[in-house]
Amino acid sequence: MLENFLAGSQALFGDPFTIGIFVFGVLGGMLFGAIPGVSMLTLAAILLPFTANLEPAQGVMLFAVIYCTGTYGGAITAILFNIPGAPENAPTAFDGYPMTQQGKSGKAVGAAVLCSAIGGVASALVMMAATEPLAQWAIRNIGPPEIFALVFFGLAVASSVGARTVWKGWISVLLGLMIATIGQDPVGGINRYNFGFSDLAAGIAFVPAILGFFAVSEIFVQADKRTSGQFKSPKLGMSFPTIFELWAHKIAVVRSILVGFFCGILPGIGATLAAFMGYGEAVRWSRNRKEFGKGKLEGVISSETANNAATGAAIIPLLALGLPGGALTAMMVAVFQMHDLEPGPLVFYNSPDLIWVVFAAMFYANLSILVIGLLETKTILYLLKIPFPFLAPMILLLAAIGSYIGRGLVLDVVVMFAAGIIGFLLRRSGYSIPGLVLGIILGKIGEQNFAQGMQMVHYDLLEYFSRPICSILILLGILTLLSGVYKALKPSRSLSSANWTGSSAGQK
Amino acid sequence: MGKLTRSQVVEAALWFAIVAIFYAFSFGFDRPIEIYKFGATGWPRVVLFLLLLAAIGNLAYTWRHGSAAQKGRVGIADDVPATTVRSPRQLLRMGGVLATPFAFALLLKPVGFYFASPFFIAAIILLFGERRIKYILVITGFIYLLLLGLFVVLLNAPLPQGNVSPFYDYSAFILTLNSKLQQMW
Repeated sequence: MLENFLAGSQALFGDPFTIGIFVFGVLGGMLFGAIPGVSMLTLAAILLPFTANLEPAQGVMLFAVIYCTGTYGGAITAILFNIPGAPENAPTAFDGYPMTQQGKSGKAVGAAVLCSAIGGVASALVMMAATEPLAQWAIRNIGPPEIFALVFFGLAVASSVGARTVWKGWISVLLGLMIATIGQDPVGGINRYNFGFSDLAAGIAFVPAILGFFAVSEIFVQADKRTSGQFKSPKLGMSFPTIFELWAHKIAVVRSILVGFFCGILPGIGATLAAFMGYGEAVRWSRNRKEFGKGKLEGVISSETANNAATGAAIIPLLALGLPGGALTAMMVAVFQMHDLEPGPLVFYNSPDLIWVVFAAMFYANLSILVIGLLETKTILYLLKIPFPFLAPMILLLAAIGSYIGRGLVLDVVVMFAAGIIGFLLRRSGYSIPGLVLGIILGKIGEQNFAQGMQMVHYDLLEYFSRPICSILILLGILTLLSGVYKALKPSRSLSSANWTGSSAGQK
Repeated sequence: MGKLTRSQVVEAALWFAIVAIFYAFSFGFDRPIEIYKFGATGWPRVVLFLLLLAAIGNLAYTWRHGSAAQKGRVGIADDVPATTVRSPRQLLRMGGVLATPFAFALLLKPVGFYFASPFFIAAIILLFGERRIKYILVITGFIYLLLLGLFVVLLNAPLPQGNVSPFYDYSAFILTLNSKLQQMW
């Protein structure tokens, strides 16, 4: 492994042009992740046609680096503006934004930098050491029933955070699942809910919906606060977390690495579910659950460690099985195909050089997060000093460009602003936008794997429980749902004193 | 009506309407799939049934407890509550904020990004409460040039050019300037 890693490093740093691409990927991923309104997906969509002119290793490496650094960059906007750069940063905003409101933005961003780097480096090391055996294990033990069970568990966790009541949490997730049914059904390819519009046959485009629900709705919320006189300026906090503060969360870091890696390695799941589950597990195991969502450092640490731990792991099913784990890894498949390559087991035998350049680049990209992140954090915090009336049009225009570029359709910009208005109205009524978005993301994956799983077990649902991993995940999901039902049916003891006054700081 | 307000009744009615409409439209694709017993309607109808249950639960909860949040919920938004009373002027301004991006999106096809965006930037700054004309003009110019520099000059991203003259001509002028700039490098 070490020899291969050194050979990959030499190939990466031996050619000035490849170094240039690496640096561009690191800075571009961070920048696009950190600019509110656009994300690493926007940058990737713009760069995709240009990769045809690059060497295959350079093209794939560029996207892998953007994936690592962009996942971290999205945390900055989640913490400072309550606008997650990507869905995987949504749980970071739960505690990160309240920390900003309390003048602890430096601590939150500092923790995100360090934990993203730790999660990413740990994931990259495991990826280098064990891609082939892990892929083999996944092939033997993970099938559609397990993936469906994980989706079920993830959605159960998502429904328990972000909404004012458990009912609203479930409605949010179910609405997301419903939106995901628009377009062709994943088994028979039958058009569903296109309402006579041919553009809807491909379903609701993912990027405009995400940008609308997260970025545009946040702008509307800020406008609403200003017009109703309830706007409070965020405080600028420059102090980083101390070593002791971070050391106190070592168990949360290790737990999130394990959760993130497990979610990342499963085909089609990716970093978003990892972040939600990392956060959900932190809440589950904490002695001070009530502090979550009100500015608890552990919330930021758990979410950011888990999503970056999933980045390395998500490359495993892509390279070993040819299955992308999310939107960006799906674009990486396109890069492979542009160069007449197919990701899959044969890549390890046909293009080992490419594999190790990518592995080495991901390792160094995660280290760069630490170095550049710590150096630039204080500069980035000054974004808070920009008056929001000047920031708002920039965010809206960047979001409009980001949603247009993907397919070149003005319809996507309209969808994005419509999603922004719907998101704004839902947030005002106490529904969970992260839950809704996770429902949209996982809806098709869940349905497809449920259908394949049912065909595998000949429509005998009890067969799911004869598979250990599947049964554990389903039981955990049921337990999460039952605890929600219990709380919902015991409302007399569980009503919050915060009754629509917004006194409980938190996120969408 | 217990503790239900008019907006909560509307909210509940909206969920029931969504369930009813989507259920009715599901008959439009209710065809069997040879390899899959539950067909194309199985999954959406289960989701709709669960949505109906959740909407009933939500209504019952609101009936008993109004808009009170459950204790122990994590990550609840601190947004301005829907029940806040607003003056007509505040409502008008908020309506403007919601409508302007939508109008901008609808104008992108005929007018194009290059012509519409400076007006959009200025309108949003104005709606967010800035009244100093000099500031609005300077910031509008700055944001416009920054975005053109990043996406047009640096990344060559294709943006909507419009299809109505003279807006289309303006877009063509900007793109010609860009290609001349690229040739200078």
